[in-house]
Amino acid sequence: MKIAKTAAMLVVALCTMSVAQPSARDIMIKVKDRPDGDTRSSSMEMKLVNKSGNTRVRKITSYAMDVGADTKTIMFFLYPNDVKGTGFLTVNYDDVNKEDDKWLYLPALKKTRRISGKSSKTDYFMGSDFTYDDIGKRNVDEDTHKLVREENANGHDYWVIESTPKKSGEIFSKKLIWIRKDCDVVEKVEFYDKLGKLHRQMVSSDIKKVDGFWTVGKMEMKNVQTGHSTELLFLDPKYNIQLDSKIFTVNKLERGL
Amino acid sequence: MIKKLSLALSFVVFALSAHAQDELSLQLNGFVDSYHALQLQSPHKIMSSRTRLRLEMRADYGEASLFSSVNLAYNGIIEKQTGAFLREAYFDYAGKYLEVKAGRQIVTWGVADGLRITDLISPMDYTEFMANDYDDIRVPVNAINLKFPGESFSAEVVFVPVPDYFVIPTSDDNPWQMPVPDGMRMDLSGTPAKHIKNSEVGGRFRFFLENLDFSLTALRTFNKSPVTIASFDPEAKSAVIKGVYEPMNVVGGDVSIPAGELVIRGEVAVYFGEPIALKNSMDYWFRKSFNGLIGIDWYAGNNWTVMAQYMHKVIMDYRDVLGTEQNTSMITARISKEVLNNTLKFSVYGMFDVDNVGFYVRPAADYLLSDQITLSLGADWLGGRRGTFKTYKKNTQIWVKGKYFF
Repeated sequence: MKIAKTAAMLVVALCTMSVAQPSARDIMIKVKDRPDGDTRSSSMEMKLVNKSGNTRVRKITSYAMDVGADTKTIMFFLYPNDVKGTGFLTVNYDDVNKEDDKWLYLPALKKTRRISGKSSKTDYFMGSDFTYDDIGKRNVDEDTHKLVREENANGHDYWVIESTPKKSGEIFSKKLIWIRKDCDVVEKVEFYDKLGKLHRQMVSSDIKKVDGFWTVGKMEMKNVQTGHSTELLFLDPKYNIQLDSKIFTVNKLERGL
Repeated sequence: MIKKLSLALSFVVFALSAHAQDELSLQLNGFVDSYHALQLQSPHKIMSSRTRLRLEMRADYGEASLFSSVNLAYNGIIEKQTGAFLREAYFDYAGKYLEVKAGRQIVTWGVADGLRITDLISPMDYTEFMANDYDDIRVPVNAINLKFPGESFSAEVVFVPVPDYFVIPTSDDNPWQMPVPDGMRMDLSGTPAKHIKNSEVGGRFRFFLENLDFSLTALRTFNKSPVTIASFDPEAKSAVIKGVYEPMNVVGGDVSIPAGELVIRGEVAVYFGEPIALKNSMDYWFRKSFNGLIGIDWYAGNNWTVMAQYMHKVIMDYRDVLGTEQNTSMITARISKEVLNNTLKFSVYGMFDVDNVGFYVRPAADYLLSDQITLSLGADWLGGRRGTFKTYKKNTQIWVKGKYFF
């Protein structure tokens, strides 16, 4: 009888474990820690389209390297020609209490500026609809996460998570994030403004494996309030490539590619 | 000169391509811009009317590269500014432990915005005083730059065999001509002879750390903005204002510290043996001076940027006969805001000469019509009680500029 009771409790416990949900924070950690190699590079092409349909193009090449839990990134602007040669170097710290280190090289002035690691995160990147935060690695613990629901659509299962920033000064009051369960990739994000109205909507597509790593090929961000949108294409992504750590230096920033 | 250089560059490029066609990359970029300015007060003269083609050519081969930039300019006001002008032309090699950059190049040191404390190697071109883009105001120098590139540290030595000096507006057709008293003329030809003893050499150590950048510099240079003294020219039998250039040694450094939304910048330098003109304008003495600057950059978010700087100069061992105050200072501020998805930028840059109560304000609006075309509208407002800014009060102007990048 005692054995049967113990066995029954064990079965119940195992059943409970099999249906236990990871917490919203755990899911966000999984997304952040999704394998992407120790080093990576890609070219980016941004198409900025305003409400009237006028298009502007930005071309960037970037390299990144993980150093422990931190990430170093260097990017160079290739087009348009008025910003060609402009470089941006970032050391993104995993520690939420540490501000990122950032340097900007301006070829017209032939000068590197140390810039604030805090403020530019909320500014829009190169006139696009993506903020520096959107294209960088936002620390998971800068937001409070709540698992809202699970969904099945387009043949995929999703977690839908609501993230609310812990600090004031962000440009969004909350965001709803759709994460594909099979690959831990963010497929859709809705950003809500301070009044709680939908402000921007981001959709990822062309999700595929490259060199064994799940990779987003295209992201489109639309500002539904202004009608302005940005298409971001990731071209020629590469992982675990041979990179000299000297690439991620101010000296390289000033020399360019 | 340009023809010779172009031929030399073409030969090197041809030679490189002949050896390794697949590893050589060539780039040709540049822009066309047209700038026109109108005096605001009567007689509403055209202050500037210039159009130029900037050609920038770059050839890369492995770790080596050649770069040249040339201006082909037409100036409707200042005759000497029409023609072909070589701006930069240098050879660059990036080894693992040594980088070499040799040729005509702009050398930029320090962290100040538009002011010079340690940034003394490339002088300033004041042909149109400050009514020009800052990158056009910097004068390239013929230099050899050797650098050891570390990850968070670099060390460099710069050698300039024949230094260049400030370009001061002196021609009669230039609305920005420096005024001289009646019956006198200005002679700035007395730059030091082209001799090894008159060369310029400097070194800089730079450190890039978590939450802190700093550098230490030492430089043997000259006062590149001439000290002017009055004398008599027996041949012309007239008084002449002569420019004096003397060697001096500079030791200094700079620092940048991010703090939240702010970045605090500082720069200091001691000039040993700086020539200072006397009150009677007949002679000059050598003095040690302390030069310091503190600046704050505020990245306020929402595409607002605010920068402010305070610069102070103290002349040591001061005597009343000196023609400059013992303490002089300057305040600058720059505010900019970008709107319409960064296609329209409003900015204002201002300088305030505290001692002369003089000011210079440059508001501007830049609109990106397309990826290639920028249209700009702005003004240069000068005035005050004394000093250079007051001298140029009559030159207060509005201007328009169009720029096409290719």
